[in-house]
Amino acid sequence: MNTILKIIRLSKSFGGLTALREITLEAKQGQIVGIIGPNGAGKTTLFNCLTSLYYSTAGQIEFQERPIVQEVSETKRRLIKRCAIIFFVLGLIWVPLFWSSFVPHTFFKVEVVLLGIFILSIRLLLVRGFMRFQIWAWGLMFLFLISDLWFAIWWLTHLLSSGPMIGTGIPLCYFAIPWGIIAGPFSIYLVLQLVLRKVRQLYGFRLGPDAICRLGMARTFQNIRLFFNLSVLDNVKIGFHVQMRSGVLGILLKTRSQRDEEGLTEKEALKYLRFVGLDGRAFDLAGALAYGEQRRLEIARALASKPKLLLLDEPAAGMNALESSELIRLILKIREKGITVLIIEHDMKVIMNLADNIYVLDYGMLIADGTPDEIRINPKVIKAYLGGDTAHVAT
Amino acid sequence: MVNLLDQSSLFLQQLVNGITLGGVYALIAVGYTMVYGVIQLINFAHGEIYMLGAFLAYTMVTVLGIPFFAAFILTILVCACFGIILDFVAYRPLRKAPRLAALITAIGMSIFLQNLALMIWGSQIKSYPRDMFPAIFLKPALSIGEVSMTWMQVFMLSITVLFMVILHLIIHKTKIGTAMRAVSQDKTTSALMGIGVNRVISFTFAIGSAMGGMAGVLVGLYYNAIFPTMGYIAGIKAFAAAVLGGIGSVPGAMLGGGVLGIAEVMGAGYISSEYRDGISYAVMIAVILFKPSGLIGRQIGEKV
Amino acid sequence: MRWQLYKKDPRFVFLSLIFLAVLLPWLPLGASTNYVLRIMTTAVLYMILALGLNIVPGFTGLLDLGYVGFYGIGAYTSGLLSIHYDLSLWVILPLAALNGALWGTLLGAPTLRLTGDYFAIVTFGFSELVVLVLRNELWLTRGPMGLPGISPPSIFGHPLTSDWEFFYLILLLLMIVLLVVTRLQDSRLGRAWFAIREDEIAAQCCGINLIRYKVTAFAISASIGAMGGAFYAKWFKFIHPDMFKFWESILILCLIVFGGMGSIAGTMLGALILIPLSEVLRAVLPQGMFNARYLIYGLVLVLMMRWRPEGLVPFERAQAKKAKLAQERLEI
Repeated sequence: MNTILKIIRLSKSFGGLTALREITLEAKQGQIVGIIGPNGAGKTTLFNCLTSLYYSTAGQIEFQERPIVQEVSETKRRLIKRCAIIFFVLGLIWVPLFWSSFVPHTFFKVEVVLLGIFILSIRLLLVRGFMRFQIWAWGLMFLFLISDLWFAIWWLTHLLSSGPMIGTGIPLCYFAIPWGIIAGPFSIYLVLQLVLRKVRQLYGFRLGPDAICRLGMARTFQNIRLFFNLSVLDNVKIGFHVQMRSGVLGILLKTRSQRDEEGLTEKEALKYLRFVGLDGRAFDLAGALAYGEQRRLEIARALASKPKLLLLDEPAAGMNALESSELIRLILKIREKGITVLIIEHDMKVIMNLADNIYVLDYGMLIADGTPDEIRINPKVIKAYLGGDTAHVAT
Repeated sequence: MVNLLDQSSLFLQQLVNGITLGGVYALIAVGYTMVYGVIQLINFAHGEIYMLGAFLAYTMVTVLGIPFFAAFILTILVCACFGIILDFVAYRPLRKAPRLAALITAIGMSIFLQNLALMIWGSQIKSYPRDMFPAIFLKPALSIGEVSMTWMQVFMLSITVLFMVILHLIIHKTKIGTAMRAVSQDKTTSALMGIGVNRVISFTFAIGSAMGGMAGVLVGLYYNAIFPTMGYIAGIKAFAAAVLGGIGSVPGAMLGGGVLGIAEVMGAGYISSEYRDGISYAVMIAVILFKPSGLIGRQIGEKV
Repeated sequence: MRWQLYKKDPRFVFLSLIFLAVLLPWLPLGASTNYVLRIMTTAVLYMILALGLNIVPGFTGLLDLGYVGFYGIGAYTSGLLSIHYDLSLWVILPLAALNGALWGTLLGAPTLRLTGDYFAIVTFGFSELVVLVLRNELWLTRGPMGLPGISPPSIFGHPLTSDWEFFYLILLLLMIVLLVVTRLQDSRLGRAWFAIREDEIAAQCCGINLIRYKVTAFAISASIGAMGGAFYAKWFKFIHPDMFKFWESILILCLIVFGGMGSIAGTMLGALILIPLSEVLRAVLPQGMFNARYLIYGLVLVLMMRWRPEGLVPFERAQAKKAKLAQERLEI
């Protein structure tokens, strides 16, 4: 059985508050892993870091043996920041240089200023994206660096051949020469960084929650987040979104493949509703459903994206004994389909009956992990929940 | 190349003008920022209160014959009341509504008031009669070389500074000021602590509108041109100033106002006077894109 | 059995309404036929604009205050192309739409990350900047002198001159836009937009890339607005920067707020009621009070938000009805 999820020393702090402290967790395929702990222990924060709603501050996450969150060391982070600032400052000098050399006598015209501001803004946005490891920023920056390099070479050779240029009364060689000398090698250096794959991996990258979903991780929420004004069927169809391919053109022209896909979506959505037992309510508005039904709908929506790993955040909250037993049955059915389940719960009956492995969090730290029987008698767990010395735990 | 001395005195003169204008923007911006601080709403109609202040003072002086300084004070009071009424009628019923609804209401009120003013006063530019003040107002008060500051500018600047100080004292030294700061941080807890939240919000509107109306009178005086759409343009610029300084932060609004006033005058002088208004828009867009919390502001997050 | 289904299908309702509208020029209205036709043309034009704007606040839930910018861009694109190159209408319309989409993407890509309030302000700033540029860049747009003498569109060499010809043209455009919007609504894209409107975080976790879908919505909305502007230029034959002020954006916003943000039928209904109403006001009120119509629009916005924020045709009601229809269709 291979490991589907591996969390290595994950930490998350919000300014001064540390929500998660070096959490290490592992889930093997087909397991049901429980996460328990008192309120405020950081369980939902952990889920949010897993699905990239929060960016973790340290640590690594591997999903299906592929890193989705990488450890980026402090030195590399600082290096990136420095590179980004140099890039922006170069842009500041570039704009007036460009204008005075190529379009003289127009320096203080409005259009020049507007265009300059425009280009600087793009460079600033790139700087931000670059520092946050966003992939589009790396690509665009690449293009800018190539152009900077080209201009650096052009200016230096031009200067050497025809002397200093006078544009607006300032001898430009004083700007062009240092600019060329810095921009040239810097651009080459950064271009190499962006191009060499290994280096890029080293610098890290960030995936958004939608990319995580596409990779095969789906979740439900502590406070139900359904699309209340849409029909039940539509909610599940949205869950099915990642399995579809139709684009704007196909939709507008109503091509055969788009129509077939819509038909397939409808059938599949009804299948998922049947799986959770809601097919009788397919055409009602999601907001009209009873609380327990809404929770099941959320699960159906999550299942529709065909995940390999399902994250359930307090699915049994507010349920009575009968509903919890049905929930347990449902989750076992999910496991039969080969989906690994990570479940946050307070209801001990649910957890003890389902989980193969339990991790206990308190104040953002992992205080225990093991099988349900081990956890039941673990003194640290008892202390965290009941705060004192008690000999037994209710089941 | 122009004489360096002339260059620098031109620069300084622009600076003086900019600071004066900036003070006015700060007065209006403070109103925006305070309202946003307590109810997280951008009060689009605030610019109209500014405009109303200008028109009220004008009407009182020319039609009713009230002496200027009395009219000034009366206008401030009326504008304060108007702000309270505005909140009561338009915004209070929507306290629990989604933000989009409140925003649309604010826009609707702004349009409504602008056109109301157009209907009542007509679209022609009004000016105060020439002999209203002693001519001394237009004479320079201080001059250093080529740079001068008229008494009018001194008057405006001193009133601005005076009321900023008063505002600061109110916010930090009085009970109601503390209540305002509490409500802007957490409404529910403030209510639980026994603070009359609605009353505090009304008071906030009152102060913000009073200062906005004051700014209207001052600007009407300074440029000697009053027209119903003046609120719209000034409102946007003041909003840009508030965002620049950090929306929700009063010192931020003051700082933002100053910076924006200077930037606008400099821009109009050196780059282009047609795009004068465009500078405010550009600054606002730039600040929102790159540093939404502004120079001094704070961030708010959402709990998942 | 199928007939009962068709009766309730909104598409059928639209088509029949449009069919009725086609008969409009033949109604015995005597001398005021042309006047009525012009009002209806304006109404349908605003319907198209409202449908375009509806995509952004109605489908994705973001407030776009700068819609008039795209309207103006489309109008000036069409006007300038007509004057300098004398192209056929069927070339100009797509070109204007593309231009609109381009600017929509350019504006949307960096700004759609922002929260609702800030996004509204930025779009507003954008539209103001567009007007400023239109007014001041004399070399391009002739600025405050306006752009007169735009040639009317011609079909098969016959230039359109009479009011009913323009009326049919705009009806045709309406059908195209309706087709686009309804197809988008009932598709993967439309559902993704509704998901974003309902709950952005949940939508993200369902695999919907927020930026991409928001920008797409914004670009499509912009292209429809630009198309409306292109028609306007060819119809009015004269454009001027002052025609594209911020108040137009508010007017169009008012139409969709009144009709119900997010529902296509509501949007069209809003335009159908409010535009002829304003024309009636224009005729009835004395000259000096002409701007009263904007006053009323502002008032409408405030009152609607206070008492019926969902509009005439609420979004939830439309969704529930759609679901019921789907259910009945399944049972057949």
